[in-house]
Order: sequence, then structure tokens, then C-alpha cells
Amino acid sequence: MNEAFYKNLHAEGLLSDESFGKITPPRPPADFSVQWEVRGLLYTGVLLLTGGLGLLVYENIDTIGHKIVLVCIAAIFVACFAYCYKTSLPFSPQKVKAPNTYSDYVLLLGSVSLVSFIGYWQYQYHIFGTSYGLATFIPMLVLFFIAYYFDHLGILSMAIANLAIWMGVSVTPKALLLQNDYDSGTIINIYIVLAVLLIIAAFLSQHYNFKKHFKFTYLHYGVHVGYIALLAGYFHYYDNFLAAIYLAALVLLSGLVYIDAIKNKSFYFLLLMTIYSYIALSSLVIRVLFQVGDIGAVYLVLLYFIGSAVGLIFLLISFNKKLKAL
Amino acid sequence: MIAYNETWLANIRVQNILKKELSRGSITEDEFSAILAKYPVLFYSPAFFVRIGLFILTCVIVLFADGLLSLVFMSTGLIEASGWPIFLGLLSYASLEFIIATKNHFRSGVDDALLFLAALQLTVGVAILLYGGAENYLALSIIVFPLCLFFTIRFSDMLMAAFCCCAFFSTVFFGLEKIGSLGLNVMPFVLMAVSAGAYWLLLKYKNQARLVNYANCLVVAQTVCLLTLYAAGNYYIVQTLSDQLNGTSKPIAFGMIFWAWTMILPLVYLAFGIKNKDAIRLRTCLFLIAAAVLTFRTYYHLLPVDVMLILGGAAILAIAYAITKYLKMPRYGFTLEDGDDVDLMDNLRVESLIVAQTFSQPTTAHPQEGVKFGGGDFGGGGSSANF
Repeated sequence: MNEAFYKNLHAEGLLSDESFGKITPPRPPADFSVQWEVRGLLYTGVLLLTGGLGLLVYENIDTIGHKIVLVCIAAIFVACFAYCYKTSLPFSPQKVKAPNTYSDYVLLLGSVSLVSFIGYWQYQYHIFGTSYGLATFIPMLVLFFIAYYFDHLGILSMAIANLAIWMGVSVTPKALLLQNDYDSGTIINIYIVLAVLLIIAAFLSQHYNFKKHFKFTYLHYGVHVGYIALLAGYFHYYDNFLAAIYLAALVLLSGLVYIDAIKNKSFYFLLLMTIYSYIALSSLVIRVLFQVGDIGAVYLVLLYFIGSAVGLIFLLISFNKKLKAL
Repeated sequence: MIAYNETWLANIRVQNILKKELSRGSITEDEFSAILAKYPVLFYSPAFFVRIGLFILTCVIVLFADGLLSLVFMSTGLIEASGWPIFLGLLSYASLEFIIATKNHFRSGVDDALLFLAALQLTVGVAILLYGGAENYLALSIIVFPLCLFFTIRFSDMLMAAFCCCAFFSTVFFGLEKIGSLGLNVMPFVLMAVSAGAYWLLLKYKNQARLVNYANCLVVAQTVCLLTLYAAGNYYIVQTLSDQLNGTSKPIAFGMIFWAWTMILPLVYLAFGIKNKDAIRLRTCLFLIAAAVLTFRTYYHLLPVDVMLILGGAAILAIAYAITKYLKMPRYGFTLEDGDDVDLMDNLRVESLIVAQTFSQPTTAHPQEGVKFGGGDFGGGGSSANF
């Protein structure tokens, strides 16, 4: 903005003499932040390096010798953890800032190689025998420990994914969408247990003020998994009385998320709550209307969607106003 | 010309600049709020997640309303007419103008959705009307270009600007294809010249006062031009296209020029990005360097993939480490401190979600299946998908 504009503001009395003096002389522009570029580079580097190592081991597994591979992987993660342990700030239940830009990625490299180390060891030497549960349980515990000790949200997400793997399901958004393994009632219920665990973890983090900033990650996964599992349960038992229970649980979850979102002013969770509840409500309405079963029902369904979406727009706008007013 | 209230658009710019001054400590809170009151913005442009929600819901409304209309008029046979999608598109466009004029929506999700749907419906409608759905990409490009240009000018929308640029270049591309073998032979050079010319024009006119409302669109357009400029001379793209269009598979003429183009241009972009401290150029060129490496890798297998991944990863880590060391103190106007645009990223914890996605492959969910090296959490699958 040019000088004349500031002069104008000054003349109108909107800028004090002091501020005007600070603004008008030509100053060097603010420093250009390359933080995200560097982070992107570090992330790509870790991704390529671990991927390349994995492939190298995979292709030469018969020639390298298992002990050498294990020692190499161990050397990597020991070095990474030693570095992080040395440089990181002391543990605190609050948020701890990383000592520098790249330490997060050193830790990531260490954790990924540690997990592969355990996996490789188990594959080759069966350290956990045939108790595969243990083989996924140990890495999960280690990852949770690392996430809490060094305060790393990415590794917390990895730990949550490992928790899901240990329970026999997958939790990353892509897998949730692509692997339609919602066919059996057992798996659906495992997902629900997982969601309950995650949501409880979220509330405990906040209530005891222990790594409070981890709450978002727990709640994010918990809410998504919970809603998707409840909806899947509803459709799985569509003609069964159990469907009503899943629907009731969904209403309960919505209430819970709503209260928490209002309390913490999080529009993200309000949006999730609205959209998932809308899906449930719409499926119910369609179910009822299709009992009618002629062309009139189609008209009614179309009218319902137009009307309800308009209503939801006003609802979202009023939610937004409500959150701002708090 | 522009649909939105121009005074408020100007006030948005004032507010943004003063917000920066506030964060730099040049002005006080009181002064800031006094200036805000003097230069108000009465648009309805809610926060990011509200925008997403409104976008989805508006799409739902438009789709079902169109469905209802089609159902009502089904018996009359009107909807079989090719003009029907155009009619629906005009309806969306009218509601867009209405919403902006009466409710002051600006980037609220509602206007975004209506604009997108209107453009889509009109394009489909005109294409069906003129060509009966036959594949004629030249005609389609010629239709899309002025349509998107109009929408860009009217609504200053970045997505429309990108579509507009793409349509322009594809018009050139398919036009040359129509000419025949001469056109095919000169195609890369013509596209290079056209995209460079377009970029130069955009650069020349971007600081004009009457284009002040289109700053974002111009940035998008410039980026598309730069990408096209690179793609026009990329060895892999030129080779593949010439094979496809000629139906042959012989090495292309002037191979060295294209190789030089593939390898050197990203570095040129990098140099300019650093010199001008331009985040978008900088990110574009990082992406293009990866493209150059991949192109080289497609034709010359100097190293096996695994060694290459390890070396590449180590090299990238080393470069990133060197940059962090070098920028420990801000130098030459570069810093590693948080910039202005981290808020949203931080809000969503985007990074942690990406880490979870790429380093926790679903295949690892079944270690008991005994795949060769299946037990670990190595991002083998992830890296190949991302590399």
C-alpha cells in the first residue's frame, strides 16, 4: 500500500504520529519463510530413504545376511533416538517445542526403522513365536511411548494406526474408504470399541491436562471411525432390530461431539457431526418414504433433500455465529 | 465487471496489509480496529470449514433441484433436448448472481459451488448441443475457454482461471493436431512459444491498477503457464505424445534440446524463485525437479530403484539439513521461522495425518499372511506411490 494511503489515514486521525513514523519509511520486506519447503524436503527424504531401505532389504534378503540387515537397521534407529534424546527438551506434560526443524524427522526416521526392525526380527527369527498379537502390540506401545516422550503428533498417529492393526482393523482414512471390510458384524464392533477407546483417550488428555494438544488427533480418528462404524452397523443389520441400537448410539455420539465442539469452539467437529448425522437422518427418511413405493415417493425424496440441505445451510451458518459469539 | 462489491474487495486488501503491520508491531490494536471500522467488509465469507460444508450442501441442493425439475418435465420430452443442461446451467448462474447481489456471499462455499456447477452444466450443454456428444476436443476447448474467461473476469475465481488457461493451451494443442504432420512436428516449439508469451504478458500486466482484483487469478495463470512451458519441452511428454499422435515409436528429433529443457528449466525456475522470494514458484520448481528426475529415470536405469531411493533420500536430507544449518539465522531475507500461512495447516495438524497415511500401510494389518517382508512398517508401498 502506498504512502499516500497512509498519509490519508494519518490525516483522518486513524494513525498516531508514532505509528505513522513506523509505517511510512521504506523498510525491508518481512523475511520470507521457507519452513514448509524445508519440511517438505525432509519429509520426502525420510520417505525415500525408508522406502529405499525397505526395498533393498526386500530384494536382497537372501544374499545380505539377516544379522547384518538387523544390525544396520538397529544402528539407524539407535543413532536417531540417541540424537533426539540428547537434543530434546526435558519431558513435560505440556506441549514441548522441537529443538530444531529437522529433529522431528530424525525421530520419524528412527521410529519407522524401529518398527521395521521389530517386524523383520519377528519375520525372520520369530521372537514372539506365533503370538502375532504381541508382535504388533510391542511396536504400538513403543510408538505411544515415543510420541508422548518426544511430543510428536505424527508418531502418535502412527501409534493409533498400530493400535488399530493390533485390534485387527485399519484406521487410516484411505484404508477406511478403500477397504470395504465392513461386511461382518464382528469387525464393525471392533471399530466401535476402537472409536470408544480413542474418544476416551481424547477426553482424558484434556481432563488431566496431560499432553492436551494430543486431543485433536485422538478425537479426529475416534469420531471418524465411530461414525463410519455406526453407519456401517446400521446398514449391516438393516432389517434387524439391532439397527435401532446403532442409530441410537449414533445420536448419542452426535450429542457428545456437539457438546464438546461447542465447548472447545471447534467448527471442524461441528461440521463432521452435522454431515454424518445428516447421512443417518437421510437414510432413515429415504427408508420411510420408499415404503410408499411409487413415483410420489421419488418426488418426496427430491423435495426432502432440497429442503433439508437448505435447512442445514442455515444451521451451519447459525452454528458459526454461535461459535463466534462464545 | 466484477460481480462482487469492489469497495469491499479493496477494503479486504487494506485489512490484510494492516493485519501484517499489526503483527509486525507497527500499529496498535486500537488503531487497527478503528481502521477496520472505517474500512468495513460486509461480505459473508465464513471460515474454511464452514465454506466446505456450505459447498457440499449447495451441490446437494442444486443436484436434487435439477433432478426434481427434470422429473417434472420428463413427460413433456423437454429434457431430451440438448438445451436442457444449458437451461439448468443458466439457472445455476442466475442463482449465483442472485446470491451474490442479495446476500453478499463472497467465497462462502455457496458461490463457489454454484459457479463450479454452472460452468460444468453450460460446458456439457453446449458440447452436446453442437456436437451431439461426439469426441471433439478442439471444439470443447474452444467452448470452455471463453466460458471460463468470462467466469474468471466476472467472479475472479482461481479455479476458473486455471481452467481458462488449460483450455487456452489445449485449444492450441488440438488446433495444431488438426493441421497434420507439420503441426505435430512443430507442436512442442509452438506450445513453448505460446506459454512463454502468455507468461510474459501476464507478468507485464499484473501490476496494472485495473487488474488489482485479479491478483490471485494471475498467480494461478502464471503457474499454469510455467507448468505448460516445462511440459511442452519435457522429453518424456514429447516422446509419448509424438508416439501416440504419429502411431510410431522412434526416438524424436532434436532429442538433446528436449533433454536440456527437461533438466535445466527446473533449475532456472529455482533460481528465479529464490531471487524473487516467490513461494509458488519455489514449490512449483521443487515439484518439477522431481519430474525431471523421474523422466531421466524412465530412460536411463543407471542404478537399481532401491539404491536410487536411498541415495536420493539421503541427498535430499543432506540438502535440507544444510539449509536448516545455513538459515539458523535469517539470511538474505530467508528465514525458517513460522510464516503467515501456517494457521490452517496447524489447525488441522495436516502433517501428522499425512505421516499416518504414508507410513502406516494397510498391508501391514495382516502380518500373519507371511508375505516376504510383510511384518514391518516400512513405507515400501507408500514410497512407490509417492515417488
